[in-house]
Amino acid sequence: MEAKMKILAVDDDPIILELLTQFMDAVGGHELVTAESGAEALEVIEQHAMAPFECFLLDIQMPGMDGVELVRAIRALKAHAHTPAIMLTAMSEKRYIDSAFAAGATDYVTKPFEVTELKTRLGLVQRLVPAAQPSTKKIFAATPQTEAAPLPTQEQEIALFEPISIPDVDNVIRHTALENYVTQLSRNSLFGSTIFAFSVRRIESFYDALSGFEFRGLLADTAEVISNTMQGHQFLMSYAGNGIFVVVTESGWRPDMEKLKDAVNLALAQTEIYDNSGERLQPRVVTGKPIRLVWKVGSSILQSLADAHSSAEEAAVRKEQDLGNIWMVREYG
Amino acid sequence: MEGVLAMPGLERVREKFLGLLAERRSAIALHTLAALDAHSPAETEAELLEAQNILHKIAGTAGSLGFDTLGNEARASEEAIIATLQNFSSANLLPLIEQLDVFVGMCGDLLTVKSDRTG
Repeated sequence: MEAKMKILAVDDDPIILELLTQFMDAVGGHELVTAESGAEALEVIEQHAMAPFECFLLDIQMPGMDGVELVRAIRALKAHAHTPAIMLTAMSEKRYIDSAFAAGATDYVTKPFEVTELKTRLGLVQRLVPAAQPSTKKIFAATPQTEAAPLPTQEQEIALFEPISIPDVDNVIRHTALENYVTQLSRNSLFGSTIFAFSVRRIESFYDALSGFEFRGLLADTAEVISNTMQGHQFLMSYAGNGIFVVVTESGWRPDMEKLKDAVNLALAQTEIYDNSGERLQPRVVTGKPIRLVWKVGSSILQSLADAHSSAEEAAVRKEQDLGNIWMVREYG
Repeated sequence: MEGVLAMPGLERVREKFLGLLAERRSAIALHTLAALDAHSPAETEAELLEAQNILHKIAGTAGSLGFDTLGNEARASEEAIIATLQNFSSANLLPLIEQLDVFVGMCGDLLTVKSDRTG
């Protein structure tokens, strides 16, 4: 049986709030609380602090504090740093949707919506709510980590293939959110974007040598360097596990992958990253092939994400083989 | 009626939507006329933005309540306002006013049908 969620819906249109109330009854009686503005929503969240909300439905276009500002404010609250937030938008403009994802949105639904669509989106986020989680944690890259997972402590180990969350880095979102984002691109014909991935070379060596805490720090620093290197371009990025960072770019920017890789590696070389014993870590990345999303539809969009992931992994393997061959040639020489 | 949805309680939401539509229709008409009579582009823009916000709300819910045609026309009118404001001139204001007039008329027709049914 599916767990019921406690949901806060925020929209300045009372008709939307009434519709959502009816929809919630129809899809199985989630507990719904409503607010008509961002300011009211923050008050309601505070009032419900003892039994926090498990999901947010937020209108993007509202007077005063809009939905993008609201999701940013919600993310700043410790209790809701990872609570699923579905944006409600009547707009197809990509810039609003991008901003919402960058601010911390998990998914979005386009208005006017249908009950079946809303049910599907709620079903997707429901599995991210702790109460709906199986007790055994899955560790493979294809399975997103729970949204509500606690922040790691020094003692907590993470799996190499785990798509861990990297907070507080510009344009870096959870892998689940990126998957939702690219899926929505197909639905809204927002074509023209490109997907590619970076792979951190010798990630297994770093993983074996470092504690979970240090490994997470290495990934966060690498993410920050990649994000900073791409500043000035519109993109969203996530960590997909196994040293892979997947990037979705805005239409119009087709990066030169070699130059981008060199720029990131130069920035990494200039960044001082240390483990807990003070030894300097020197991560380097390779890039896979860029994949244009034009004409991709349905499941092929997610396949493109997987292809970009695989391409970067293969590039990392090739790089190490090439380096191995160089040593062999020198030894024989 | 288009796209009839079978959901308990939805009829009450539809009634409320139509009740609000009468107010929103009047407001759109007033803002449109004020935009036409404005003394400066800034005034015109402010009035059109008010009308756009109302159209935005109608477009966001009409389709979910079975009023697909009204919702599509509201969306088209909203987008027409955005396009006009991006490239504003008195020459492209008149076609927009005509489009909004058609939308206001469409709302009126829908409300008349409702009134006939209930009256």
